[in-house]
Amino acid sequence: MVQCQRQLDQTLGALADPTRRQVLERLGRGSATVSEVAEPFEMSLTGMKKHIRVLEEAELVTTEKVGRARRCSLGPRQLEDVTEWIDAYRRTLEERFDRLGEFLENRKEIGDDR
Amino acid sequence: MTDNQQSTPNTSTVTTPAEREIHIERVFNAPRERLFAAFTDPELTSQWWGPRGTTTVVVEMDVRPGGIWRFVSKDSDGSEFGFRGVYREVAPPERLVQSFVFGGMPGYISLETAIFEDLGDGRTKITSDVIFYTNEERDGMLSAGMEKGMNESFERLDELLAT
Repeated sequence: MVQCQRQLDQTLGALADPTRRQVLERLGRGSATVSEVAEPFEMSLTGMKKHIRVLEEAELVTTEKVGRARRCSLGPRQLEDVTEWIDAYRRTLEERFDRLGEFLENRKEIGDDR
Repeated sequence: MTDNQQSTPNTSTVTTPAEREIHIERVFNAPRERLFAAFTDPELTSQWWGPRGTTTVVVEMDVRPGGIWRFVSKDSDGSEFGFRGVYREVAPPERLVQSFVFGGMPGYISLETAIFEDLGDGRTKITSDVIFYTNEERDGMLSAGMEKGMNESFERLDELLAT
């Protein structure tokens, strides 16, 4: 559980940055070197490397050295933990609405009447 | 008020023009000032607010921008339900903007803008736009039975206005 929480924190933390999300979108179209990934951003190579390291630690990106360049591609994680959390949260939301529904429908009264 | 107006029951039109919104239109057989008062006077509000078979106590109703409203309602079983919100805009007898929170769901806020339109024949049309933070909350509200609860509440208001 604690392990899961840490993983979720790491995934959400990695996603909580527009540059890192764009990097994921870019890598979704195919692997690229760090400098290729950095090109459309007004950012130093060092800054981009930091972002990629965060994504790598969250296992959202993997990198390997190819010659003198470092090649990045999408990692093994598919955001299952995030979607599971969102699904669970939505269930809670429905359950909360059920309580409001009890009032709005005033079920007892209707059941007796019609 | 003429017999003709009384013979056709007024009904609400509920539509969803955008994914986080609910749009409601409803005509009432009452002059605009009287209808606005029914929404802003604590004694009148407690007589119609809530579905049939429920009772509502107006705990607090500070009808001015930034003022709080707080109601406690009971269903037929006697279970209690709290509701609250804040008035954002109060422009009698034309416009009322307020937030709405069900006590069982703190943090889930919707914002309602109600326009009271004088139809010129002793009737008034209310056009209400309710906006939610998310599409899920909007849909949750609809599937919880908002339309049915609101219709019953408005029928109770019709009855009150007819007295």
